[in-house]
Amino acid sequence: MGFNNVIKWVIVVLFITTLVFIFWRFDPNDKKFFPTCPFYYLTGYRCIGCGSQRAIHSLLNLNLHEAIKDNLLVVISIPYLISGFVFDSIKQPSMKILKWRKILFGTKAIIIILIILLSFWVLRNLPILQHFI
Amino acid sequence: MKKYFYTDGTNNFGPFTLEELKEKNITRETKVLYQELGDWKKAGDVPELNELFKLVPPPPPSQTSEPGYTNFQNQTIKPKPPKTWLVESILVTLFCCLPLGIAGIVNASKVESLHNSGDFEGSKNASQKAQKWTTTGFWIGLVIGVIYLIAVMAGAAGGF
Repeated sequence: MGFNNVIKWVIVVLFITTLVFIFWRFDPNDKKFFPTCPFYYLTGYRCIGCGSQRAIHSLLNLNLHEAIKDNLLVVISIPYLISGFVFDSIKQPSMKILKWRKILFGTKAIIIILIILLSFWVLRNLPILQHFI
Repeated sequence: MKKYFYTDGTNNFGPFTLEELKEKNITRETKVLYQELGDWKKAGDVPELNELFKLVPPPPPSQTSEPGYTNFQNQTIKPKPPKTWLVESILVTLFCCLPLGIAGIVNASKVESLHNSGDFEGSKNASQKAQKWTTTGFWIGLVIGVIYLIAVMAGAAGGF
C-alpha cells in the first residue's frame, strides 16, 4: 500500500468514526444539530430518507424498535448494503460468487429495489400507514 | 525476468513470468502489459507471446467472436461486470440526495444487462454515469453537512 493510500484510509476511518460518534452521542430530534430534509421542510411529506439520521441514532443506541419506527428501510437495507460492499471488494470472483452477485445485485434485483424505494416513498405518506412505516 | 500482467477489462492480474502466463488460458484478444510495453496490448500483437497460442489457430474472420468471453475446454468464463455503484447509490438516496441517488440506481440497473448483452462499452458508460451521480450526491451531502455544522457552531458560539 502506497503512502497516499494510507493517508486516504486514515481520513476515511477518522471521518466514519466521527460520524458514528456524533450519531451515537447526539439525538437528531434536537433539530439544532442536524439538517432537516428539504423535501419535508418544503412539502410536509416524508421522503425515502426522512428519519434515516434518527434511525442511525436509535440503532447505535441498540434501540431496534425505535429505529424501525424512524425509517424501516434504513434498518432492513443495512445487511444488504454490507453484503454489497463485500461483493464489490472481491477481486477475482468465482462462478458461484458471480451467480449470487447476479441474483442479489443484478438488473432484476435493482429494478425490484427501485420499486421498493418508490412504494416506500408513497406508502409512508398515506395517512393510514403513517404510524407504521 | 520479464513480469507480465493481463486484464479482463475490470480486474488486473499479475505479475506473472512467461511460464506462469502460459497457464492462464489467455487468448490473442486478452490485453496484456509488461513494463517496457507501456500500455495494454492485445496478446496476439505481442510477438514473444505468440508461442502461447501455437495450439490454438487464429479465429476465422467470418466468425463473430463474442468479446470478453474466453472459451477454454468447453468452459465459458465471463468477466466480472463493471461496478454498478448500487450500494453507494442507495446510501445517497437514504442519507442525502434522493434524486441523485435514484439517478444512480437507474444507471446501475443498466450496467449488468448491457454487459450480458455484450455491450461492454455501454455497460462501462452506465457504470461511469452511476458513479458520477452518486459521487456528486456524496459531495453535495458532505458540503451541506459541513456548512450546517459550521453554522450551528457559529450560532452556539454566538450565544443562541
